[in-house]
Amino acid sequence: MRAFAPGIYPRSAALVQATRDLERGRTAPEAAAEQAEDDLRELVSVQRAAGLTFLSDGMLQWQDLFRPLADATEGLDARPLTRFLDTNTFYRAVLVDGEPRLRNPLPAPDLPAGEWVGTLPSPLAFARAARDEVSAEALAANVLAPQIQAWVDAGAALIVLSEPFAAREGSADELLRALDELPAAPLALQLPFGDAESILPALAEARVSVIGIDFYATSLGALPSGFPKEILAGVVDARSSALESPDEIARFVDELSSREPAAVYLGPNGDLQFVPEPIAREKLARLGQASARLAEVA
Amino acid sequence: MSVHFVTREIGSLAKPPWRVKAFAGRPLEESDFAAAEEWGRRLEVDGHETLVEGLRAGSLGLPEIDDWAAFYAIRLLERVGLDVVYDGEQKRTEMYDHVAAFAPGFEPRGTVRSFDNKYYAKAAVVEAPSVPGPQDVEEFEFVRAHTDRVVKVPLTGAYTMEDWSYDEHYGHEGGLGASAEHRFDARRRFVHDVAVNVIRPNVEGLVAAGAEWIQIDEPAATTKPDEVPLVVEGFNEATRGIQAKKSMHICFSDYSALWPAVMDLEDCLELQLEFANRDSRELGTKDEDRPGYADTLALFKEHGYPGVGLGVLDIHSDFVEPAELVRDRILYAIEVLGDPERIQVNPDCGLRTRSWEVVYEKLANMVQGTRLAEDALS
Repeated sequence: MRAFAPGIYPRSAALVQATRDLERGRTAPEAAAEQAEDDLRELVSVQRAAGLTFLSDGMLQWQDLFRPLADATEGLDARPLTRFLDTNTFYRAVLVDGEPRLRNPLPAPDLPAGEWVGTLPSPLAFARAARDEVSAEALAANVLAPQIQAWVDAGAALIVLSEPFAAREGSADELLRALDELPAAPLALQLPFGDAESILPALAEARVSVIGIDFYATSLGALPSGFPKEILAGVVDARSSALESPDEIARFVDELSSREPAAVYLGPNGDLQFVPEPIAREKLARLGQASARLAEVA
Repeated sequence: MSVHFVTREIGSLAKPPWRVKAFAGRPLEESDFAAAEEWGRRLEVDGHETLVEGLRAGSLGLPEIDDWAAFYAIRLLERVGLDVVYDGEQKRTEMYDHVAAFAPGFEPRGTVRSFDNKYYAKAAVVEAPSVPGPQDVEEFEFVRAHTDRVVKVPLTGAYTMEDWSYDEHYGHEGGLGASAEHRFDARRRFVHDVAVNVIRPNVEGLVAAGAEWIQIDEPAATTKPDEVPLVVEGFNEATRGIQAKKSMHICFSDYSALWPAVMDLEDCLELQLEFANRDSRELGTKDEDRPGYADTLALFKEHGYPGVGLGVLDIHSDFVEPAELVRDRILYAIEVLGDPERIQVNPDCGLRTRSWEVVYEKLANMVQGTRLAEDALS
């Protein structure tokens, strides 16, 4: 059973301290960068030890889902803090002060070609963060498409588009139109922290191969039988400190598979940054254990 | 017509640098002694020389330093002219951790990003929480002994405790692939237990000790709009039948989600809300002059909610609201609600992110602006 963990991974206590020290002028940028590299090496090692199918860089340098991409885009800037869904974590909304156009794509993570997964905001999420002052279609065509192409050229095995708003809005029309603007590439659409039931039928037509579903917010019965897409099953709860039982995950995936989706991947139901790093690390291990258990049975 | 609006703060003030460093085990510097000396003189704190000498000599224990910080905060709030005071929550770590660290059933789990490089501590509920007795009676008695003003005790509400905690007890089992009803029921049981077994014993103890006003703080009230009824249940279960004034503070939220559920709050004198953060800084009492107030006050009017604690100071800015701006915000609220009796005056929220210098000026202007509004109505 394949498994991976896209999205923002929590920084270690050492990296949190290093970035604080950097802000307060108590350390040099090189020292903070070195700590970030240590964190990345450690994260890769944890993912390898867990036997995950794809590696993620954990977006350790990203302040939130939108900022680095907004900073790299002409016509976009950072705005005041905005609450991320119903969490106690905030992102900078995106200020639109011109026609958005990606200046230079963000560099690809330093991970082996063909083995890594990258995460970007979905075009609809990006538009919502910009308070709809620019359309999702325009952001897809002029910002996300060149970024996706650059990462695919650099060896991304899969690009996950994180879409936290559509499930809550209960409509996928705008999202589907925007996805049509993206290049042909291995794409996943993840719906973190929301009940996907209302939009799952429509997403059967989406121009992505994988749909990520939060099964801590979506009941199993919401997934139509014979769903034509591959499922990234959110079976590790990134908003809970409780550690999942690999056996319980395996039992759940058995049930899920009986509904005959195109295929199943295992993953967290959203960014693991919503738990402290030691807990996230243990959750990755359990994700790997569940995956291995399912592989044994198969 | 003679009108008097009650002025009060909402909760926390910044902790003085000498208190912060002493608790962090860091050495105090000359600037810290100077701050203790300057504010002691300015606020006419009795015996402040003893504090300064003790800080210099390193002879004060942490509990004594805590008492001094609370004493200074009470004096500050009195000196600016507030009718209702507390101690700026000087003896509490922070509104969530204060409760989670005290109540068995919660365990610390580490820190999570708030934004950028800012992080906050988070605990998990691992069993039904309950407390062996009231948490804040000693704190209240200290305040009561050091002021003759009305005292209002701020307490973190049950829903916010639930919403800001990890759940390793109520909803963990069988959560994967579960129904929405299963998840809601788990959250409801969590809120209930905190309200009845953590908050209520504190409320009962405080009122038995003489507290006359309990303020329940629920900053998380509308983060999940369909759960506002749980906020209401938590308030009612924590305070039902208690013989004291009771109010609720909510801030930086989508207030439209509060109605109609808040109409079921039992004996809740008022909702103290943040408004100034959303408002213009221009003077005026027309709808277009007061964009931060119009929509929410319209909800109070439409639903007939009895009382509003009108936030008139933006706590996220060092901008010192002129007294005339405070006056116009109050007059506008009266114009919308049609009855001055329904309005009392406060900052948007606790002022702990602002320096004492800024807090002093803001609150002094708030009181002055309130008097201007009273004059205008007379």
